[in-house]
Amino acid sequence: MGLWERLQRVDRRVLYTLIFLSVIIPVLFPLSLPTPVTPETESFYAAIEAIPDGSRILFPFDCWPSTLAETEPMAVAALRHCFRKNLRVVALSNVGMGGPSVIERVLGQVAGEFGKQYGTDYVNLGYKANYQAVLLGMGSKIEDIYPTDYRGTRLSEIPLMREVPNYDSLKLTVIISDNAMVDYWVSLVNARFGMPMVAAVTAVMAPKQLSYVQAHQLQGLLGGMKGAAEYERLLDARDRATRGMDSQSLIHLLIIGFIVIGNIGHFAARRARAAGRAGVAA
Amino acid sequence: MSEFFSSPFVALFPTAFFTLALYSFLYRDNPLFKLAEHVFAGLSAGYYFGLIFHSVIVQQLWLPLTQDGEWILAASGALGLLLFARFIPKVAWMSRLSLAFVIGSTAGITFIQQLHGLILPQVSRTLLPLDSVNNVLIVVGVLATLIYFYFSKPHTGPLGWVASGGVGFIMVAFGAHFGYTVMARVSLLIGRIQFLLIDWLRIGS
Amino acid sequence: MKYRLPILVAFASGGLMILAFFGRGSAVDLVSNEALRGQTIVAGLALLLGVFSIVQVHSRRIATRHPDWLYSLILLLCLAAMAGFGVFAGIEAGSVYDWLFQNLQAPMMATMFSMLAFFIASAAYRAFRARTVPSAILLATAVIVMLGRIPMGQYIYDALPSWANWIMMVPSVAVQRGIIIGAALGAASMSLRILVGIERTYLGRG
Repeated sequence: MGLWERLQRVDRRVLYTLIFLSVIIPVLFPLSLPTPVTPETESFYAAIEAIPDGSRILFPFDCWPSTLAETEPMAVAALRHCFRKNLRVVALSNVGMGGPSVIERVLGQVAGEFGKQYGTDYVNLGYKANYQAVLLGMGSKIEDIYPTDYRGTRLSEIPLMREVPNYDSLKLTVIISDNAMVDYWVSLVNARFGMPMVAAVTAVMAPKQLSYVQAHQLQGLLGGMKGAAEYERLLDARDRATRGMDSQSLIHLLIIGFIVIGNIGHFAARRARAAGRAGVAA
Repeated sequence: MSEFFSSPFVALFPTAFFTLALYSFLYRDNPLFKLAEHVFAGLSAGYYFGLIFHSVIVQQLWLPLTQDGEWILAASGALGLLLFARFIPKVAWMSRLSLAFVIGSTAGITFIQQLHGLILPQVSRTLLPLDSVNNVLIVVGVLATLIYFYFSKPHTGPLGWVASGGVGFIMVAFGAHFGYTVMARVSLLIGRIQFLLIDWLRIGS
Repeated sequence: MKYRLPILVAFASGGLMILAFFGRGSAVDLVSNEALRGQTIVAGLALLLGVFSIVQVHSRRIATRHPDWLYSLILLLCLAAMAGFGVFAGIEAGSVYDWLFQNLQAPMMATMFSMLAFFIASAAYRAFRARTVPSAILLATAVIVMLGRIPMGQYIYDALPSWANWIMMVPSVAVQRGIIIGAALGAASMSLRILVGIERTYLGRG
């Protein structure tokens, strides 16, 4: 077996070890390279900045625990911006598996940094099943869909919720999502109730959502850990996402290296086979 | 000694143990991985049970029924219970009524949602003035993609040319999508490594 | 009766949702709001069907002493513990239910999905070949976007981030839009088929 063919048959465990190392090394020895900010992230920031201080916003956290490494830094960064502006946050989740528990923890943590009070500055409505019905039903009366918050307190006993009967009293929706929920928010709530919205989505979803940004159905977009790192830069509050981007750099270079080596090996082996066949024919 | 037991190393040990147990699959399938896999599946199903009990049965049904006298909700509760008729062969067909209610309503909502919320705004934003290269590329790209996925006529002649142009656009988009997918998957790994090194072992920054 | 009645229910409930779209604030809207509330309840209870199904499957594995019966027993014990703590001791932050979720379930789910990073890298190495012109275009775009989206990209070539931005906002948006429009047309026609009773696979057999 020639060198090029051997290069194409490297054991997967060698590849896995290289991948592990390319993530671990930058965590131990950070490079702290600045992340360039994309126009969509700037628009996201501007959309929150544009609403008056003290306004009420909707904060759907429609994420599974599997993507927390991407969605949590985005949610934390967006919440920090919101609480800095004293916006009052109504959170909920359309993902039953963990969504309401995660947002309870993340909201509590960021609200704690800013000394915000549950019930007056923020509230977690929790989860209700069948997202399309939830999204439409809240347009008429939130209390019909959510008789209580996640903790079981009646909405009529929560000061913030007494001011929010439906979408009309909310200035913006900040969607954090790792699934098709953004499509539903855009096509049901933005289209039908005219609610302005921005979205923070996992990187794998970002290309599709850019079509909504270009159509002005979304006012801004954060795409995955990179989006979170860009937002941390705009807020001047570097955190986990910024640190993660060093590993991201190294592993991208490694994968590109894999692709290049794989292709060189493929073409070199093909040429060698063709030359061998020509030799036999001669 | 008490410091040791209250340290992150001990407090986060269960999390780290199951994280490493799952990663052991990268070497090969093994009993530790299987154990973690089944613990995970059990906890997930149990999570749903607890959540639905509080969020739906208590908060959406029991409280409004008993405290506010909203008896109309009894109908929804009954429809929900009918779903379980599928476990009794004689009356199993009745669970179709509840299913038909949810599927039918969802279909009604989806019909309007797709036309009004997606097709109209997306089409109207494609009607761009052809005064720049980018606008021309967007209009041509949307049309070529739609034609590529139009299978009611064979892709020959002019239709074939446009469809092969569509392939070019689609390859660019899929390449971009691949780049973003790599970024997404790598982020998840970075998250777990940050947990193991920074949160658990307290090394790295 | 066993088929016609459910199809009639689907038609009526779907038709109500369509009518309500055209009459916000009308009597139809009020009725549809009640139906929406009902949907969230019925769909919530439907999720429990999945839990019952898992219990059924694994109980059977234990009863028949399947080679993996011990794992099934562990699964059922974990399910019972999580559900029991949730029902009897609450689900709020600070509860045992919440601890089990935050410290075991969520990190395990994140770990499972993080393994995809290894598989995607390995697949890129083994299968990502520039064999044809379209696959070469795909490969070149992927490399530009991957480099343009990392902080190091601008140090390799300073125009890379703007090239990546252009790819994302022009050709990629065009294709995504084509796919969105195509998929939306498909979803709308499928909804119509369900409403008029042509599509009835969701009703099952028998």
